Amino acid sequence: MKIFELCLFALVAAAPTAPAAAAPADAAGGETSAALPAAPAEAQSSSATPASSPRFIYGTPGEKYPYYAGLPKELLPYNKVEPYERFFITRMPFRGPGRDYPPPPDLKSLRIGLLDSPKYGPNWERSVHTREGVVLAMEEANRARPPGQLPFELVEREGMAQWGGAANITADLADDKVLGFLGTIDGAEAHVALRVTLKTEIVMINTSDPDPSLTETNIPWLIRVFPDQRLEEAKLAELIVHKFGCQRIAILREGDRYGRLGVHSFMAFARRLGCPAVQELLFKPGDTDIHHQIAAIKDSQPDAVFFIGEPDDIGRFVKQFRQEGIQARFFGTNLLMDGRFLQNAGEAAEGMMITYFFDLARKDPLWVSFVARFKERWGHEPDAFAAYAYDGAQIMINAVQRAGPNRWRIRDQVCNVDFYQGVTGWMRFDAIGNNISPVPVVRFEHGRWVFEPEPEFTPSVAQQ
Amino acid sequence: MSTQTTPSVRTIAGIVLVFSLLPGTGSSARAATTPAETTALPIPVVTRFENFGEKDGLPSHKVHSVLKTKDGKLWLGTNNGLCVREPEGKFHCYGTKDGLSHPTVLWMAEDPGTGDLWLATMQGLSRFSGGQFTVFTQTNSGLPNNVVYGVAVIDGTVWAATAGGTGAYHLKTKSWKIYDQNNTVMEEPWCYSIAAGDGVVYLGVWAGGIVEHDPKTGSFKAYRDPDGDFQFQLTPDSGPVVDVTSGVAYDDGILWQSTYFGLSRYDTKEATWRTWVQDKTPLVSNFINTVFARGRVAWLATDRGASVTDGTSWVNYIVDENGRGVVRIYRPGQEPETRTMTTALANGFVTAIWADDHEAWFATSNGLSHGVFAAPTNSPTVASNP
Repeated sequence: MKIFELCLFALVAAAPTAPAAAAPADAAGGETSAALPAAPAEAQSSSATPASSPRFIYGTPGEKYPYYAGLPKELLPYNKVEPYERFFITRMPFRGPGRDYPPPPDLKSLRIGLLDSPKYGPNWERSVHTREGVVLAMEEANRARPPGQLPFELVEREGMAQWGGAANITADLADDKVLGFLGTIDGAEAHVALRVTLKTEIVMINTSDPDPSLTETNIPWLIRVFPDQRLEEAKLAELIVHKFGCQRIAILREGDRYGRLGVHSFMAFARRLGCPAVQELLFKPGDTDIHHQIAAIKDSQPDAVFFIGEPDDIGRFVKQFRQEGIQARFFGTNLLMDGRFLQNAGEAAEGMMITYFFDLARKDPLWVSFVARFKERWGHEPDAFAAYAYDGAQIMINAVQRAGPNRWRIRDQVCNVDFYQGVTGWMRFDAIGNNISPVPVVRFEHGRWVFEPEPEFTPSVAQQ
Repeated sequence: MSTQTTPSVRTIAGIVLVFSLLPGTGSSARAATTPAETTALPIPVVTRFENFGEKDGLPSHKVHSVLKTKDGKLWLGTNNGLCVREPEGKFHCYGTKDGLSHPTVLWMAEDPGTGDLWLATMQGLSRFSGGQFTVFTQTNSGLPNNVVYGVAVIDGTVWAATAGGTGAYHLKTKSWKIYDQNNTVMEEPWCYSIAAGDGVVYLGVWAGGIVEHDPKTGSFKAYRDPDGDFQFQLTPDSGPVVDVTSGVAYDDGILWQSTYFGLSRYDTKEATWRTWVQDKTPLVSNFINTVFARGRVAWLATDRGASVTDGTSWVNYIVDENGRGVVRIYRPGQEPETRTMTTALANGFVTAIWADDHEAWFATSNGLSHGVFAAPTNSPTVASNP
């Protein structure tokens, strides 16, 4: 562990527990005066750096970070040669001006944007949960604001179901004078929104897009708290090949962008582990008749099938696969932890293995407290989308509180977090702002999802 | 993104560094063995900067784009409107109240036939003609998306690079055609930049490298990162440094690609690639906002200053931590030479550059800079490609 992190972690460990009365703010990663983690060098030059939560551990500009999401070397591309140049080793700075600019005139609130998904699409329900997490964080932050301080205000914009629509909305958010914004789920939308952020210089925290390439654009105005598909698929590839010894992997995936990007990493990992996929077949969302795909996959005699798609589709297909006598092990993505999958799959769900972000039945105080507050506010329990949205909003709120109403100093705060302990657990951010904390494996067994035991992930573990 | 039809620079060569023009440049980290005063460079050299900001009448600290039109007017696309520099040096600015589609003007292009100005804004494409603005949006025209990053006028067609594809507006027929992932080799329709080639159009595509389009045949060809991975460059000089293109520019047979990962250069006649990344080459920063080509020279607008190169010699202009201008010169086979300047760029975060044989203009995140070149002291010669 690096010295500065040792010191910071000692501060974290030594920080007194906040009194119960402050539970909402504290449990949310709110401010205490117990410890002051080092702020980024750029941000330290600002005059507005109040005390902050000990759950934030900041990095040092220029420091080296885990390469390729910290994945094992055998999973890296061209892993037997040293490339001419490696990118994403150090954190990309923003070298432009702005940190000394005065606050916007006539400021009446601290505006934070939220880019929702388009209504009626497959991501809408997830977007609703995302919104619930963000709203809860904002409400708690406003309740904790001392009298006389400006309140936070959420500026919401609903996505448009067309290519490039998010660009227009992100430009609108800039016109709305937001200090930062959160969103969105859809990878294409997140990409076009990100491109606008570089021009508008408004930091973006993505809480739910799994597209690995989002952060690989090297734009220093983004972090993502949501683990990307690459982490999931590396875990699954290792599981399939190393743990179960499968040799013949077939893939059935959606034919859209989500499926295309999702399968890209998995196929590469499987190939590097010596087991290139024997089949890769596509379907359209909503398809009911896939007998051609099933026949082709059956002919390929797979010992593992990896499904990528929406839970209702995959649930239907898994059942059909079993009915056709395919005995292979079944694997899928986090999307399958959804009632629609279980409903459609029925008994065929038994044995399905997926990756998921964290155990929703965890008993640690941060999570338990969050679930209780969330349930009280919204009348139902949070899912991972709500939880990551809450954590993302907390990071944004904390950044605004530390930096003041200055977009460039807020960026410095957001983009220089190394570790953050949220309700979803400890996050570890790499050089380009990805949360690369490991994702656990989950198996559907005897009618319920069972998380495979994982060592606790903490900053000290991450440094080993 | 040079889409100008003005004669490209072929007489820049031979400009001599005359550091005696730079009073007070005594302290330097100079390591060259050849006296700079007598060493010619085949690329133009700025000896001083004149800077302009809000106090001079600019409506915003941030300037996104700069263009000098054929009539000699200097136009600025800022965060808060379109400005033109009057002959006496004052800036006259236009905003949404005048009919501009959005205050943020990201790029500009001149129609060489009419002198009309086409403006890429965050909320549509605007035409400035005869003192009047005409606005094209995705609801009143065939523009693919309202966020327009780049624009060029090529052979009677206005090409607009948008977040939803490239739109081509034929000026005579007033018809639009959209180029995106459905009818080209683009995987995604996110376009950033347009450049005119010799009979072809180059589209700088975000995550799609460079797409070459021949309007006559309707064909498309993609130039992609050969290793296919954003995380590294496997080998140098083998193709585009990466697929995330921030800008393209073309002149005299040379296609340049700017990225946030380095610089690529494609010699279209020899079909050869060269690439540069910071730390391993003289490139001042991997983060290149835009590239401007003139002759066989590229001007690079980076987050750490400006670079000028013909691919062999380099001159980098940076602003040090004390706000002083620093020029660093790289000659083939020689140690780099570093000198302080009496003036500096208005800001090290350079967003765009325009240059001709006599001067360069730099759009930065904190004002506009005018780069005054060293006076040539010997007969101009034709720049040679290394």
